[in-house]
Amino acid sequence: MGENIATLIAEVDEDGTLAGVRGALDGGVDPLVVVEALREGMSVVGERFEARDYYLPDLILSGDIFNQALALIEPLLAGAGAASKKPVVIGTVQGDVHDIGKNIVATMLRCAGYDVHDLGVDVPPSAFVDKARETGADLVALSGLLTLAFDSMKSTVEAFAEAGLRDSVKLIIGGGPVNEKVLEYCGADAYGKDPSAAVKLAERCLAQA
Amino acid sequence: MKATSKIYPRDTMTAEERLQAVINLQVPDRVPVCPFIYNFAAKYAGITAHELWSEPAKYRAAINKCYMELGPWDIYYPANPRYPEVYTFIMPMKARWPGIDLPADSICQLLEEEIMKAEDYAWTSEVAGSWPSWAYFPFFLKMIARSWDHVEDGWKSWAYIAPRLLVHLAGWRREFDAFRKRGVAVLYGFLPEAAFDSFSLARGLLPFVRDCRDRPGEVARAADDLTESYYFITRLITLLMGVPRVEIFLHRSSNDFISPKTFAELSFPSLKRLVDKLVAAGISPVLHCDGNWDRNLEKLRELPAGNCVVQFDGPTDIFGAKQTIGDRMCIMGDVPADLFVLGSPTEVEEYCHRLIEGVGRGGGYIMGAGCEIPPNARPENVKAMIDSVEKYGYYS
Repeated sequence: MGENIATLIAEVDEDGTLAGVRGALDGGVDPLVVVEALREGMSVVGERFEARDYYLPDLILSGDIFNQALALIEPLLAGAGAASKKPVVIGTVQGDVHDIGKNIVATMLRCAGYDVHDLGVDVPPSAFVDKARETGADLVALSGLLTLAFDSMKSTVEAFAEAGLRDSVKLIIGGGPVNEKVLEYCGADAYGKDPSAAVKLAERCLAQA
Repeated sequence: MKATSKIYPRDTMTAEERLQAVINLQVPDRVPVCPFIYNFAAKYAGITAHELWSEPAKYRAAINKCYMELGPWDIYYPANPRYPEVYTFIMPMKARWPGIDLPADSICQLLEEEIMKAEDYAWTSEVAGSWPSWAYFPFFLKMIARSWDHVEDGWKSWAYIAPRLLVHLAGWRREFDAFRKRGVAVLYGFLPEAAFDSFSLARGLLPFVRDCRDRPGEVARAADDLTESYYFITRLITLLMGVPRVEIFLHRSSNDFISPKTFAELSFPSLKRLVDKLVAAGISPVLHCDGNWDRNLEKLRELPAGNCVVQFDGPTDIFGAKQTIGDRMCIMGDVPADLFVLGSPTEVEEYCHRLIEGVGRGGGYIMGAGCEIPPNARPENVKAMIDSVEKYGYYS
């Protein structure tokens, strides 16, 4: 069953995946097993995206299928497994309202099993700090499309330092113009070039945290 | 009025001749430079972005200050809207504007919201069936009405937008004349978003991804049905503006947004039909190709040779593009935004030198920024890019 659902979502088969999930739940399969199958399939989607066999539409659609499937499963989970989810805070930095990339990364992180706290767009540095404190997140992801976002990313990193959280929280940045030079300028810990890279980056950073 | 004087003493061609030569893939006297300056001008001149778009005299003063202090350059890249609603006339998206719903010193930002409905594809095709030459107007007027609360749908939106569009065009024409008087060529007279890409912007990403999966025929048909009107409007406006070139925005056709297969099957057919018609009418298209186009380049070879410019903004391998399409199309770009902001003048100069040596080899190249020069670019970096063509760009 699980293998079938994993294959279906990996093939971005919306109807097939949702039918498979419904069938599994009706058949009494443990909801956590179904979630794991979905994650396994999403992991394949990420690999295919990295290999450039898949493109953004495949990521978006599979993420949407995952969210629909999760909506079917969540009422049956009743908190099971929630405690084991690692919190991650994400948002588009102050002065920038672009959210396509940020939304996709948030979905990919959710698919990978993180408890994602999405602060939306135009987020001031203090809001990132407050949410990281509140959730106990070890990882904060800053998104930005404009070059004007570079300074906001830098300010956010500095705000974590001022709050005494710089050593305990990993800060990753992403968005169109972000590269090694921008990373160096902002003083964050790492950067990702695409949504799929963000998940691996999160895993790597949290392993170091 | 055509550009007549020389930009630099060593030049043997006018800027207009130089631009035409590179579009036709001939070797000019020197690599031309075309800086896409808009929001940068406000910061450089010490005015707000709100003043830049809402007060034409301040825009003119700001762009003139850039030209006098950081130029001269060969080609003027017009990008200044006179009215926010006119901006929606070419890019059908909701937007936040400095001085309206953003701080006055911010920059305009587009919002990913669904303003076009799935049933609008069929409606668009139906309208185009009745008024093939004019269908552009009903489609975009509907999008404007859905983007701005104060603009009513139907003919009232036309009554609202028409005078503003005319003022905008008249203002541009005056600016074009002023630049031509100082010997500068004008890149284009009109800048529509391609039909397929317009649908993507207006539908929003997820709905559009679903459309391409569930109703590809409708999407491609509606884009194709709008082609005649795109051609008619483009021809009309470029004629009115006196510039035989048009910029075609392709914000959503890169490999970052769609697969090469979707590009080939749904985006490219209507684009090719439009480009073919424009070239046959003596109008050169400038394709504004944001994002990564590496896997679309082979397809672009099917467009008419020696008549198009393709502008890249960084993610595309511009040096690889020279190998793939350099014998078919003039290439423009792609000094990266981050280099303007965080790099040094020496780094910018070195990159520009590489562009001139690599992409400029044998002509067919225009030095430029990857898309717009960012507002927080270091002025000395902008100058380094512009100066590079005089320093390294002569062919003999």
